[in-house]
Amino acid sequence: MKRLLRKLYDTVLAKPVAGLKTLIGKASRALTSKVVEPLRVWRIRTVDPVLAKVGRALGLPTVARFLRRIPQKWKNMLYGYLFVMPWLFGLGLIGIPLLSKSIRMALSEKYYFITGVGWQISGEWYEFTQFKRIFADQPWHLEQIVGTFQDVALVVPLVVVFALILALMLNQRIKGRAVFRTIFFIPVILLSGNMLSNFSNSGLLTVPAIANGTISRLLAEYFPEFFATIVTTAFTKIVLILWLSGVQILIFLAGLQKMDRSTYEAAEIDGASMWETFWKITLPALIPLMYINVIYTTVIYANLSNNAIVQIITTRSSEQGSLSGTLVDQINFGRAYSAALSWILFAIELTVIGAYAGIIRLASKRYE
Amino acid sequence: MTTNRKAKFRRLMLGRRGNDGLLFKIVMYVLLVGISFIFLYPLLSMLSMSVMSLEDLIDATIAWIPRNLTLANYATAFSWMNFGEALKASLQVSVYPTLATVVSSALIGYGFAHFRFFGRKALMALMVAMFLIPSVLTYIPTTVLYNDLSVFGIPLNLTESIRAFTIPAMLGNGIRQTIFILIFYQFFRIIPSELYEAAAVDGSGVVRTFLTIAVPMAAPAFLICGLYSFVWYWNETALARAYFGNTYTTLPMALEAYINTYRSLYAQGQVNLDSVSSTYNLGVQYAMTLITIVPLLVVYLFLQKWFVEGVDRSGIAGN
Repeated sequence: MKRLLRKLYDTVLAKPVAGLKTLIGKASRALTSKVVEPLRVWRIRTVDPVLAKVGRALGLPTVARFLRRIPQKWKNMLYGYLFVMPWLFGLGLIGIPLLSKSIRMALSEKYYFITGVGWQISGEWYEFTQFKRIFADQPWHLEQIVGTFQDVALVVPLVVVFALILALMLNQRIKGRAVFRTIFFIPVILLSGNMLSNFSNSGLLTVPAIANGTISRLLAEYFPEFFATIVTTAFTKIVLILWLSGVQILIFLAGLQKMDRSTYEAAEIDGASMWETFWKITLPALIPLMYINVIYTTVIYANLSNNAIVQIITTRSSEQGSLSGTLVDQINFGRAYSAALSWILFAIELTVIGAYAGIIRLASKRYE
Repeated sequence: MTTNRKAKFRRLMLGRRGNDGLLFKIVMYVLLVGISFIFLYPLLSMLSMSVMSLEDLIDATIAWIPRNLTLANYATAFSWMNFGEALKASLQVSVYPTLATVVSSALIGYGFAHFRFFGRKALMALMVAMFLIPSVLTYIPTTVLYNDLSVFGIPLNLTESIRAFTIPAMLGNGIRQTIFILIFYQFFRIIPSELYEAAAVDGSGVVRTFLTIAVPMAAPAFLICGLYSFVWYWNETALARAYFGNTYTTLPMALEAYINTYRSLYAQGQVNLDSVSSTYNLGVQYAMTLITIVPLLVVYLFLQKWFVEGVDRSGIAGN
């Protein structure tokens, strides 16, 4: 087909195209020699001397000399700031105002809207009204917070470990690697925004045999409770965990691809088994990526829309009402309460990241 | 003889040095195929349910293969979603912010990667720290802030227009934009410094070096960031609803509206197994979900070759 097209092109179109090309070439050459060049000469003769005089009168040469004397280092700094300028603007215009506002909201008593006046904040910050509400008045929400904390703390390491295993598998020399990789990327494409909760609400992210609880009951009977919780979480959430590990697999894969082959060969010659090579060569090299993956997983998982706290926050903060905004905040715990809750979510994230980063650090100490 | 055969079998199954055993390979392929199935399962089951007629949907004996193939669900879905309008809105809401995101991320990433300036490390640390802050945290004040955001006294009128997405994206505050900036940062950093030096010797200025050397070398980064950002803006419903109100109804927003109506009807008992509705059932819902996803899948399948390779080379992994 391709060859046929080629032939067709050669016989039919090749000549006219070549003719057109030479024509365009001639025209452009004529244009430069007849129009552009005379114009340039005219400019050099008449305009440039005048411009130079004006420049000298304004003292531009001294400025230029001064500019030339600025060290390259300073110029680089200037350019650096120029390139980063958009982000700096964003920080000043959006980032910092948002942060300060949400801190103020979390530490307020009410956050309400009055038509014609705008958004109002009431209450003194040191009263911690919203936090008192969360920890004293709302046992149900407190339960959700503890549940979310446990959930995040359990799922994050599982995702990272699964991602590591899958990345190791995908890094082997296997047939159809390209196909597997294409499929393993699908979660990245599909799971953002509200899509995940759509999927999980429709029961598409659980395996029926696991969901009915036979396995977890068996496990609970024969194993200590702590261990059983981990295993049942792993089982009931296996599909979710796999779905969440797309980007992490990529990150590990990128790291594995960069690994030096000769190190492995040397280890092999020294008679190291696959098990030993994994623990002594592969894993230590992947430790920096472990930190990245723990951070990424925690941030993404804690912010998923099927998370209990996130659900409370989104429903509460989208409650509308112009004047009744006051009522919403007082009775239903509206925006101010949500802001306080989201700071608690942030604290949960930091705790989880800190704890696992600490564990990885301790575990990697023996490699030093 | 037997021991010899046994040893041979053992070698075949468990492998020798430098060659994985058959057993290992079988286990690995089973796992890979199984996991691939898990990833494809939602798509497949949605596909099969979306072409089922009402009777098949109710019939508990039919799990996968519908008895009567029908495209009626798709027809209902297209008309309910107002497909043409919604697609247009979706494209507008995701293409412009994506362009803004990619351009600004490239500039910012280049600034951080190529120039040594005072406070560079501190600013980068601040950027990563801001990424850790939950998006729901800023979600509430954002709507208020965008309402009365102004530069030098000129109001930007961010609400009810795509500007609510594009202007933050231009300023490096788009959806998860920190990741994109870091990807560009990594790409620009691995460009050999000899190239920059050669350009400088040839008298190329800063802008020209950026455009003719850095940008072409980081082509995969543009692709990765463009795709991710397109997908994330496309799927974003919560922010879109908060910023745009009713000005734009994107495909995912239409889907969400449908699911909410369906759920409330179900809760009121108007739609259930006894009184089925031809408009509100799982078949239509899945057809809609697929309609929402398919444009993304098409884009992904077109780009995936470069995408996967690009990610491999990119070193998002950091060093």
